[in-house]
Amino acid sequence: MQYLLLIYGNENAMLNAPKEAASQMMGAYTAYTEALQKAGVRVGSNRLRPTSEATTVRTPNGKKNVVNGPFAETKEQLAGYYLIEAPDLDAALSWAARCPGAAYGSIEVRPVWSM
Amino acid sequence: MQVLLLMYQDEKRVRNLPKDEAKEVHGAYMAYLGALKEAGVLLANHGLKATTEAKTVRKASVLNGPFAETKEQLAGYFLLEVPDMEAALSWAKRNPSAAQGSVEVRPVWT
Repeated sequence: MQYLLLIYGNENAMLNAPKEAASQMMGAYTAYTEALQKAGVRVGSNRLRPTSEATTVRTPNGKKNVVNGPFAETKEQLAGYYLIEAPDLDAALSWAARCPGAAYGSIEVRPVWSM
Repeated sequence: MQVLLLMYQDEKRVRNLPKDEAKEVHGAYMAYLGALKEAGVLLANHGLKATTEAKTVRKASVLNGPFAETKEQLAGYFLLEVPDMEAALSWAKRNPSAAQGSVEVRPVWT
């Protein structure tokens, strides 16, 4: 089964982290990505640029509405994701708990529709 | 550049659409998918199961449900390779989810 691990964190805190803390975090993510890779569960992953670069599009009744910023203002922002292949939800949750972002924010685990 | 189109929709409304309308929406997605493939811009896409099946892990705890309660919920994504933000926005406008809810466009770190 495939699960999407959605990483939510306070992006201002991340962007303003001291250099040392930022490089420690980067190292933790590199190690985590390698662990996923080694276990053969990583399908894809991406880090997202800050929500200050987001644009949200709506076209209700054919009317175009383009606004700067993310879909919703939240205390924590979507910072990236991992798409993993895991045998069951328990396995997916244990990978989520190991994600460095779980210590600083939230990891939402969502099963994916199989095509 | 790579961009992620994040589709947000009222999942209850979408799940309870009359059969005819659901079929129409499905057809619109199929056509959109076909257009993306034909243009050679599609890298990946997935639909997500309902947030009732979501769990959120925070420090040592596991909570039922999504990270935040919002009026619309993340329903899926498209990862695209496009020349610029303008192209990304024009694909976002054509996404069926733009008419039903919102499409958030986020550039990806490369």
